[in-house]
Amino acid sequence: MTEYLIRRLLQSVLVIFLITIVTFLLIHAAPGGPTQVMLAPGLSPEAFEQQKRNMGLDQPIPVQYVRWIGDLLQGDLGYTFKNHLPVGDLLWPRIGNTLILMGAAWLLTLVIALPWGIYNSTKEYGLSDQTASFISYLGFAMPTFWFGILLQQWLSLGLDWFPLSDMHSRGKEGSIADLFMHLVLPVTVLSLGFLASYIKYARASMLEVLEQDYIRTARAKGVKERKVVFRHALRNALIPIITILGLDLPLLVGGAALTENVFNWPGMGRLYVEMATAREYSVLMAITIVTAVVVVLGSLLADILYAIVDPRVKLGGKGTKAA
Amino acid sequence: MSDMKVTISPRTSPDALTPEPNQAPKLKDTTAALPAKKPLGPWALLWKKFSHNPYAMTGLGVMLIFILAAIFAPWLTKYDPAKIDMMFPNLPAGAEGHLLGTDELGRDVFTRLLYSARVSLLIGFSVAFASVVIGSIIGALSGYFGGWIDTVFMRIVDVMNSVPTLFLNILVLAIFGSEIKYMIMILAFTSWMSIARLVRGNFLQLREMQYVEAARAIGVSNTGIIFRHLLRNSTFPIIVNATLMVGAAILSESALSYLGLGIQPPATSWGLMLSNAQEFMLVDKMQAVYPGLCILIVVLAVNFIGDGIRDALDPRQNINKSRGRLAKWRRNFSKSGN
Repeated sequence: MTEYLIRRLLQSVLVIFLITIVTFLLIHAAPGGPTQVMLAPGLSPEAFEQQKRNMGLDQPIPVQYVRWIGDLLQGDLGYTFKNHLPVGDLLWPRIGNTLILMGAAWLLTLVIALPWGIYNSTKEYGLSDQTASFISYLGFAMPTFWFGILLQQWLSLGLDWFPLSDMHSRGKEGSIADLFMHLVLPVTVLSLGFLASYIKYARASMLEVLEQDYIRTARAKGVKERKVVFRHALRNALIPIITILGLDLPLLVGGAALTENVFNWPGMGRLYVEMATAREYSVLMAITIVTAVVVVLGSLLADILYAIVDPRVKLGGKGTKAA
Repeated sequence: MSDMKVTISPRTSPDALTPEPNQAPKLKDTTAALPAKKPLGPWALLWKKFSHNPYAMTGLGVMLIFILAAIFAPWLTKYDPAKIDMMFPNLPAGAEGHLLGTDELGRDVFTRLLYSARVSLLIGFSVAFASVVIGSIIGALSGYFGGWIDTVFMRIVDVMNSVPTLFLNILVLAIFGSEIKYMIMILAFTSWMSIARLVRGNFLQLREMQYVEAARAIGVSNTGIIFRHLLRNSTFPIIVNATLMVGAAILSESALSYLGLGIQPPATSWGLMLSNAQEFMLVDKMQAVYPGLCILIVVLAVNFIGDGIRDALDPRQNINKSRGRLAKWRRNFSKSGN
């Protein structure tokens, strides 16, 4: 287990390292490089060179990269070009807002999708099963932001049940009830997208387990069907779902740029789009790296959890025993 | 996670060609008809099964309509998609000869939908094609040669899968500018990985086959084996994957255009129309409905076609035995990894 962990961790570090290189090179490959944007326009050539030197942009690219990485490792994400604000101050509150939104959507999805998918696996091709399949087909083919716009038109502008956008109403920043009302529409949109896949995962995973020999044995020795499903099948069926949860973890942080934009939710995804239009490269780099780190950690976590929960998994390498 | 099941193409397994093993033989014809009938080729067999799938055929029909509409757009409408006419903004459907009305700048909505179809389909098909080329080459090299080549390429795939795709797309378009060619390039660059994995898996299986050994024994070059034998036997799974990719690319294009980083005015795209529509939601409700509906229908159609091809390739499928079409479709759908 330890050997596997170390190898997996080293791999993750390597992947993150490669991602930082790719991001850095991409930004420096931009026509005119970051220099053009970073420096104030209308400077005299001497002042231009001076400022370039001040910001370290006259150094060769590898040197700049090492400096940037060094700052990054010390937790310094850099400064915005405009106003010279620390990127971290901009980023962290946004991550919190995204976590609220995505966490709510994720919870709702799990609460609906798992029981529904499991129920469907016991009643294959029934009405409920077909409804679920219809939803997932729709969820895969529909642009989520369009669904959001339709909901805004119908439930917000039309019926006035929910606020149109933003996270708080003016003057009600502390109110939980107000926040809840603002959450309803974006969470609905996000959940539909998630539901499409999670019902399918839960159902497929259960079906696979229900075909196993030990389930037949349990049935043959007269265990009640209820007990077969909940005691014997469910616990094994949850294993692959844990993996998928781990792989989807980055969504919690990366957020849904689209949904946040539709509902004007001040999360990280919207920050990214705003900063992309403003060409604030240091913010873009920071967000890309933060998200990538979470992605890599998420898949690492999924692997580890999988190994812990499922004793059948032999972790590669010679002589390593299962957890 | 849920990689697509590798379907053995009919070419490699001749027993997959025997249709309907479960069906009770009709005593009259079988003996008489069989010797005279030429066995169907893989494409004909594929079509035979595909054409019995109502969802797939509907998808194909809808797709053809959209393709024809996109090609013949200038002949189907008398308006210019970018022509601003401030005399008649926000007309309702059917007014003043505008089939679906006009938008906030008096542009004909139907015309704009038609021209948007061009953009979406162009991007969808180009991205799928480019991904197939990149993915097949990398997958083929990895699967055929193995060793360090495989390790390097698969690490690259890992890295690519760890990069948040939408963020990378936005980043590149923000840096290089929102042009169609950059959009196609970055979308292809972020979506070839599934095809590379698929081709690699197929190659790992196929390269141990006896006919490959035979080909090598009679001196066929590596390139010959890769292209003539292995890649041809991976054709069908690649097609399925590529079809589904068309839909994904259309969705990505609309998302990027909606965010303002994709297609730029005066050009038009469904995503861009939606972003306009959201701004003028209070004035005209229907503007937001049409473009989204177009995206939904096209992507559904493409997905139906893709699923139809996959089902047609599945030797376990039996076209004549259907206990309820929907149930059958559900069964197929649930088997797929998508």
